[in-house]
Order: sequence, then C-alpha cells, then structure tokens
Amino acid sequence: MAKAEDGRSTHTKLEELERLREEALHAGDERAVARQRERGKLLARERLEKLLDPGSFIELDRYVRHRNPHFGMMERRPWGDAVVTGYGTVFGRKVFVFSQDFTVFGGTLSEAFAEKICKVMDLALKYGCPVIGINDSGGARIQEGVVSLGGYAEIFWRNVQASGVVPQISLVMGPCAGGAVYSPVMTDFVLMVKETSYMFITGPEVVKTVTGEDVTFEELGGALTHASKSGVAHFAADDEEACLEDARYLLSFLPQNNVDAPPYFEPSDPPDREDPELDSLIPGEPTKPYDMRVVVERVVDDGEFLEVHQLWAENIVCGFARLGGHPVGIVGNNPKALAGTLDIDSSVKAARFVRFCDAFNIPLVTFVDVPGFLPGTSQEWGGIIRHGAKLLYAYSEATVPKIALITRKAYGGAYDVMSSKHIRADFNFAWPTAEVAVMGPEGAVNIVFRKELEEANDPEARRAELIADYRAQFANPYTAAERGYVDDVIEPRRTRPVLCDAVKTALTKREKRPPRKHGNIPL
Amino acid sequence: MAPFDKVLVANRGEIAIRVFRTLRELGIGAVGVYSEADRGSLHVVLADEAYLLGPGPPGESYLQQERVLDAARRSGAQAIHPGYGFLAENAAFARAVVDAGLAWIGPPPEAIEAMGSKVTARRLMQEAGVPVIPGTTEPVESVAEVVALGEEHGWPLAIKASAGGGGKGLKVVRSAGEAERALASARREGEAYFADATVYVERFLEDPRHVEVQVLADAHGAVVHLGERDCTIQRRHQKLVEETPSPAVTPEVRERIGAVAVDAARAVGYSGAGTIEGLLDREGNYFFLEMNTRIQVEHTITELVTGIDLVREQVLVAAGQPLSFRQEDARFSGHAIECRINAENPANGFLPAPGTITAYREPAGPGVRVDSGVTEGSEVVGLYDPLVAKLVVWDTDRERARRRMLRALEEYVIEGVTTLVGFHRALLEHPCFIAGATCFGLVETIAEQAGAAAAPAGPRAPTRVREQVVGVELDGRRFEVTLLRPEPPYAELARRRRERAGDGRHHAAAREAVVSPMQGTVLAVEVAEGDEVREGQVICVVEAMKMENEITAHRHGLVTALSVAPGEPVTTGQVICVVAQEGEAAAELDPK
Repeated sequence: MAKAEDGRSTHTKLEELERLREEALHAGDERAVARQRERGKLLARERLEKLLDPGSFIELDRYVRHRNPHFGMMERRPWGDAVVTGYGTVFGRKVFVFSQDFTVFGGTLSEAFAEKICKVMDLALKYGCPVIGINDSGGARIQEGVVSLGGYAEIFWRNVQASGVVPQISLVMGPCAGGAVYSPVMTDFVLMVKETSYMFITGPEVVKTVTGEDVTFEELGGALTHASKSGVAHFAADDEEACLEDARYLLSFLPQNNVDAPPYFEPSDPPDREDPELDSLIPGEPTKPYDMRVVVERVVDDGEFLEVHQLWAENIVCGFARLGGHPVGIVGNNPKALAGTLDIDSSVKAARFVRFCDAFNIPLVTFVDVPGFLPGTSQEWGGIIRHGAKLLYAYSEATVPKIALITRKAYGGAYDVMSSKHIRADFNFAWPTAEVAVMGPEGAVNIVFRKELEEANDPEARRAELIADYRAQFANPYTAAERGYVDDVIEPRRTRPVLCDAVKTALTKREKRPPRKHGNIPL
Repeated sequence: MAPFDKVLVANRGEIAIRVFRTLRELGIGAVGVYSEADRGSLHVVLADEAYLLGPGPPGESYLQQERVLDAARRSGAQAIHPGYGFLAENAAFARAVVDAGLAWIGPPPEAIEAMGSKVTARRLMQEAGVPVIPGTTEPVESVAEVVALGEEHGWPLAIKASAGGGGKGLKVVRSAGEAERALASARREGEAYFADATVYVERFLEDPRHVEVQVLADAHGAVVHLGERDCTIQRRHQKLVEETPSPAVTPEVRERIGAVAVDAARAVGYSGAGTIEGLLDREGNYFFLEMNTRIQVEHTITELVTGIDLVREQVLVAAGQPLSFRQEDARFSGHAIECRINAENPANGFLPAPGTITAYREPAGPGVRVDSGVTEGSEVVGLYDPLVAKLVVWDTDRERARRRMLRALEEYVIEGVTTLVGFHRALLEHPCFIAGATCFGLVETIAEQAGAAAAPAGPRAPTRVREQVVGVELDGRRFEVTLLRPEPPYAELARRRRERAGDGRHHAAAREAVVSPMQGTVLAVEVAEGDEVREGQVICVVEAMKMENEITAHRHGLVTALSVAPGEPVTTGQVICVVAQEGEAAAELDPK
C-alpha cells in the first residue's frame, strides 16, 4: 500500500516536472511570438537548434527567474527569464551558447538574465570551449535600474577575460542598441542579418534630435552598414538561416581554445597540386588590377575561402582557408580596390585579424602586392600613422607561423609591414613578377636623378632610360633574395605546393615573448 | 538452367534494383552501370558489379550507347535490360545491342520504331482496325492547319510531339488564339527532348479515363494481355497514382480493350512486355493513344493482381523461350494501387526537391510492396527523374486496398527531402478518390492545400564525396585508383555559401530581379534586352528534371541586365534579368 502511494507521488512529481518544462518552453508572450515570426525572425530556441548539431543542445538554468520586486514585476516571472542558455556541439565539438529571447520582456537584460549568460561564459572558459551568443534584445530592463547595468558590465568583463582564450562569436539577430553593443563588439566576430538586425549607440530618434540627420534604422546600424561602412560586423547574411550557417562554417576553422590546435581535416585536394593558370595571372601592365581573391582561391584547399569583412576595406583581403588540411588565416593586399594600398581601415581590419589568428594558433599566410600607404589629408589627419602602426605591431607581435608570398609590388614601408622577413616571418617567397623596392621606378627616378633630369637635354628620353635601368636593377625579387629577405623565387604554378609545405614545416614553431603585463599597441 | 550468366541493366534507381531482383531469382549475375553523380546510389551497391559510364548528366552517361555497350563487354554480360526511360525505346540502341552479339531484353527494333513515331503508329493502328482519336495523321506545320482542325473537330485540341511521351511535348489548345504559342512550344520540346520537331494534332477528350493495357508477347507468336491499369490521376500528364482494376472497367470492357491491345501488338510484330495506352470516355469508347515499348513504371500493380513477374517473362522471352502461361491461365485477383513517391514539392508546383535523405524507413506488413532506389543518406540529385520509390499495395477489393495504402503511407518515413507521401495521403482520403471518379483538378487543389501544411526540409547531411587519385601497386603493377572520400562536414556549408554569394553581392537588385526558382538549363529566351514586358510575360524557359518551366516577369517594366542565353545552365536563385521601372536607378550587376 505504502509502495503504491510512493509510486503515485513520484508520478505526480514527474507530471509537475513535465508541466514546468512545458511552461518554460512557452515562456514567450503569444503576440510577441507572432510578431517575431512576421518579421521573418526565428525564435530563440529555433536559432539554437539550427546553430547546433541536431539534438545536441543541453539547456541550463531553465528555472531561473527574475527577483525584481519593483513596478509589479513579481506578477510575471516566466521560467528562464528572457534568455536561453546551455551548451551543445557544432560538428561534434562542444560550444557554450546563449540566445536572447525577444518574446519575453522584449529580450531585456535583467540581473537573472545576466547571471545566466555569465554562467555559460564561466563554464566555457573553464572547459576551454568557444562561446556563441545570439543577440536579440531591447536593451536594459529599466525596471531593474542599476542592477541591469551591473549585469551588462559583468558580461563585458567576462568578454575581456575570455578574449584570446576561447573564441567568442556574436550573432546579432535583432536589436542591439546602447551599451548592449559592447559585448558583441568585444567578441572575435560579429555576424549580422540584413534587414532584421541593427546595432547603434544612439538610435535614429536621438540622432535626429541631436544632429538633425534623418536616417533609418537600417541605414544607421543595419547589417550592410556595419559590414561595409563601420567594420563593426564581420559578416552580413541575407537571412537568419544563412547567418547561423556562417557561424558553423566559421567555427570549422577555429580551435577550441588558445592551447588547442585548429581542426585538421585530411585534404582531398592534393597539397602538391600545381596550377599553370597562375603563371599568366599577373597582368603585364604593372598598373592593371587583378583580384587577389582569385589567387587565394586557386591556391587553398578546394578553393574554399571564408572571407572576413568582405565588404569593408576591400583593399585588403582577410579570411580563413585551409592549406594541406590545416586552417590558415589569409591576408592579402587586393589591387582590385584602391590599388591595394594600405589605408586606415585596411590596416585596422588586417591588424585585428592577424591578432586573432595569433591568439588562436592559426598560421598566417600573407599575399603581398602593395604599392604603399594611401596618400592624402584624410588619411594623414585621420591618423594613418598610428593606424598603420597597428598592423605593423600585430605582425611583429605574432608568434604563429608567418608565411608571405610577394606576387607583385612590395614597396616602401608597406613592404616592411606585410609580414616581411625583418619582423620575423618564417618563410618569404616571391613570384618572378615581384618588385621589392623602396618605391616604384617612376617615383624613384624622379627623386634620385632630379638634378640629372633637370640638366638633361631631353629630360623625357633620359627619364625613360633611367626608369628602364632602375626597373632592371631594382624592380625584381632578386635584390631582396640576394640578402635572404626572400627565401626563394618560385613559379606561380608551384605556389600551392610551396605554401602547403611551408605551413607544415612551421607548424611546430614555438616562440616565447619576453614576460610583461601586455604590450602597448598604438590604439 | 539460367538463360544468361550475366545481364547488364542500363538504368539507375528503383527500376535497376527491380530488375536485379528478378535476375537474382533466375540465378543470373546482375551488372549495374552508374554516373559520377550516382556513385553513392543504392543500385550501385546492390549490383553484383558496377561500371562507371561518365559524368552526371544523362547525355554524358546513361545515354552514352557506346559506353553502355563497353560496360557490357567488359563485364561479359550476354544481354541488356534497358529498364524504362534513357535508352529503353531507342531502336538504334536496340540494334547496336544485337549487332554487338548481345540479347536485347525488349521488343524488336522495328516495333520500337513503328510505335515510336506517333504518326506511323496511328496509321498502322487504323489499318489494324484499332480505334484512334480523330485528328491528323500527317505532321502539322502551320498555325492555320491547327486552327482549321479546331474548327472541324471542335476545341480543345492537343498538339503532340511525334516522338514525345510522358507529357513531354504535349500542349492543349483551348482556342484559336492559343494555337501559335502551343505549336511552337510542342515543337521546341520535341526538338529538345527527342531531336524531332514533328508534331501532330488531335481532338482533346474532356475528362476521359487514362486506361492502359499490359501485353506480353513471345517470339513464337503468342500475344496475351494482363488486364488494364487506370492511370487517370495525373499532373501535367505525369502519372501519380495507378490502380488495377480500373473502377470504370467491367469484365466485358476488359475483354474488349484486351483484344484491342493484342491486335495492336500483333500489328507491329511485338515481343516482350509492352503497354497500350488509351483513353476511355464516359460512353465506354476506347481510343488508342500510344504504345510504350518497354516495362512501365506501374507494372507492379499488374504483377500483384496476376502473380506474374513481368520482368521474368521479359528476360525469358529475350532468351527465346515461350511465355510461361496462356491467356486463359491469366487470373485477376483483388485490387492493387501504386503511389509514386517523387521527391517533389506539391506546395511549390511540384517542383523537384533534390536533397539528401536524412532518415528513411519503408512501410511493410501484409500486402505492401516497396520498389525503391534510395535509403538513408541517399542523395536525390536534380539530374534525374524525381521518382525515388513506388509504394504498391494489394488487397481483396478497392476500398481495402485504399485503406492499406493509407496505412502504409502513414508508416513511410522520409526525412530531408520533400516527397509526395503527404500529398498521396490527402489524395487517397478524398471523397472523389473514394468514389473512383476521374478527380479532374483534384491534384491541383490538394497541392494548394499542401502549401499551408508543407513541412520544411530538414538539415542536409553531408554525404557527397570528393575524389582523390592515389597510386597503388598490386602484384608489382602500378595502378591509379580514385578514392571516394566523404566530404568534410563543413564542405556543404562552403558550397551553400558560395551559391548564396551570387545573389548576396547583388542584394540591391533583389527587388527588381527575376531569379531562377530552380536549377536547370535555359531552353529559350523570349525577350531581349530593353524589351518592355508586362507582369506574367514569359522571360525565358528553363528545363529542369526534363520539364519546361516558364520564368515570367514578376512585374511590368523594361528588361535589363539579361544574363542568360539558350543552352546555358542556371542555378537556383540566379538572377536572370532585371525588370526595371521608371524612376529606379538601373540596378548594378557584377558582370562576374
């Protein structure tokens, strides 16, 4: 008899558990759910299902509720508050996740909300796993006052503790305004969705009041704005599904943490594959542009190149690819935009990318075709000196394998910056089309022979002569190779075999930096 | 004693496997062939040995006669079974098989030729006293002829490509005004699919039943029929559900149409398995349509009600043996229904829905037969017929068979690709089907309703392979071996990202752009750069899964940035052109 009673009581408790779980699953306000769908947005849990391997999500803290006694908030205390947290796998590798739920209190951040996020971040750091955050929030929960602000800062602090220790990826899939933007932007990558997500410090209304500018949400802080103008977003996807896929794809290149190696897959693309097309890729005219991305795609495994910041500072190309199955970070000057010069944006873009790769043991492969820094007042007044220095600093500081290939121009200070031998690159190669020099022949002749040209009977003919001389003497890779600045001059067709082998050789590199609190990059 | 040691089956998917099964029962070795796209396909695994024909497109693999014959030679096969489709009704190939000293498991080439041309077939049938639908026996050249025939026999008319079949190259003309477009379209499809633009015209019967009769003949003069199959439920002249007996066929009618079919087969000196297709009107008149000189997709239902293995008879007849039974031995028992399980999305105009099957479980139990060509992890590629399986049931009467089919459909689990399973359930539960009516228009109605309930396809599992060539030495001899390695898990994402990149970069154009809703080949471009188009006007015709699909303007405007030409491939989401309206800046398209 007693036994039967026990059985019944366990049964009741199981029913209760099931009821609570059911409630937690449907914590969202019905109308808010409908509105979310109307906007073409997925629900917080649906996003996690698509992000993670099917059925791998384990939820934590589903019974956490807010404890705010003010403004009648105790009337409504949904299970789990406005964020779903937990962990799961992406291609079988563990990741910790949170997904803000706009259908509960507009996804606003409460103390409990922040605590849930902090818990998964702490766990991720403890176990050395990436953190992926999905942002869709109306901001601070005003009813909680300063407690909410405290919650934000707890997250910011953890973002910084985790920086360079585990990869952090932010997906912005709805509003992310005011102080809330500072968590995503301190993570390693920001992925946004066109039309449905935006980030800004102050919204269009405030902008209108303060500056009189009329601007829409999308123009001010939409995905394309941040992906092409501000550089805040690394990726802009057409829809949420594409955005979630991008995050999965990105993770396939990244290690779990700063002491693990990035994931290797045995390549089906033979590392010794030569590509005769590369022999005719560089245009005969030194002023003719070509697309460095084409070179990259022809060289890397299966032509698969995940470009980061594809639409911003297009004069430098950054992204992930594999060489012989090993993930590598690619940096390349792109003559297709601004003649491939280094300017403020491209320096900042590449510097951050180089530092990310260095932090996570991803070898750097640099494709050099740079005529120098971009001249002009906007650049000088904008501080190209200190911004350009960031890239120089980042390359100099990096201890991961650094391999460089000069395809054409490597002029002046930009030559030094772009993974040169002198800042401790491991292997430097050049195509025979390379010109490693202080500047282009025209400029050099005008300076070096100014006097002679002024005095010449036919200055133009003399100039042409001198340019031809200079070109023959300096506009080639051999002067640099004579001194060992370039390790070898190779046929373009052999680029892939050479780079694959260099990466493999340098993988075992271990370099220690002098002990210090941290360097002082010119921010 | 088996009639052959080895037989090559020049086909893929379910029909290849179907033929293998009979071969195995006869003690004959089953030789398969495959394309590069079919490397992971089930029929390759189930063959005793399999030979690579070439790249994925049928024109470079399954239709490559020389390569098929070469595979037969290399394997030592003594006969070739063509299945249906591909080379099954190609008289030249049949001859080439015989010339190569192999047995052709099909009718004599002359019979294929006679029935292959609708115009010839019609004349021969009329001479043999077989009733045909009023119309022309001469090819029709001009719009005026079409209009004149319409005036004479009354509208609507059907324009058919002479060499056409299965709905390809068939256009219905409801008035004189439609004649021009329909004629051009039928000729184009005829040209595109069968390299023959000849068309003829006939009276189009309203709401007839599509009833076909199975015949078998041997080389010793025996011709028998195995009753009818009712294939009335179709979509754009593609069969979806077949049953036997037909709800409209009485024993008397069966005897009459059976005799017609036997006459027809005799008239062309037939041997092997064949099908007389015809129309049964409301008054019980039966008209000859065409003869399919091969095993039919829906032969299964005949097998279930007669107990006769049609493929077995085909093989034995090809080996010179007489039929294993006489007409008077044929017994018809119970009722059989077949549902075609296509990887198509009824909610999206039955567009092919290629993808990877992530979960798969076939129904079983009493009276259920599944002829399928897929399993879990199989990839349904857009290059071939979207038929992935045939679900066939038998029971003692029609209503029981219907309920059994519903039960079996309920058991069928196919995830990852959209199929017609749900559609068939709705169809078989409909009062119209229960009543055994012709259900004209019902397919479209159910498809519309399915739109609301359509479940999105699940995530696609990576099952594709990448090639890697390695050198190996075997007994001191060096070989180059192509290893088929599964793709790494991220490869699918990389591919999809690249596909999206095409339109992603031209995001600004999305509102004005006309994009291809499917992957296929452009057959015709009907507008030119700068043309003014109205909403709904045809921009171009894209062929996918062997069907013509018209891509229309989504709004009124001027055609700019037209980027396709006939013969070019297009991918899903590819921008075909931009329909610009006044006041809009011309959308910029990256020429890449």
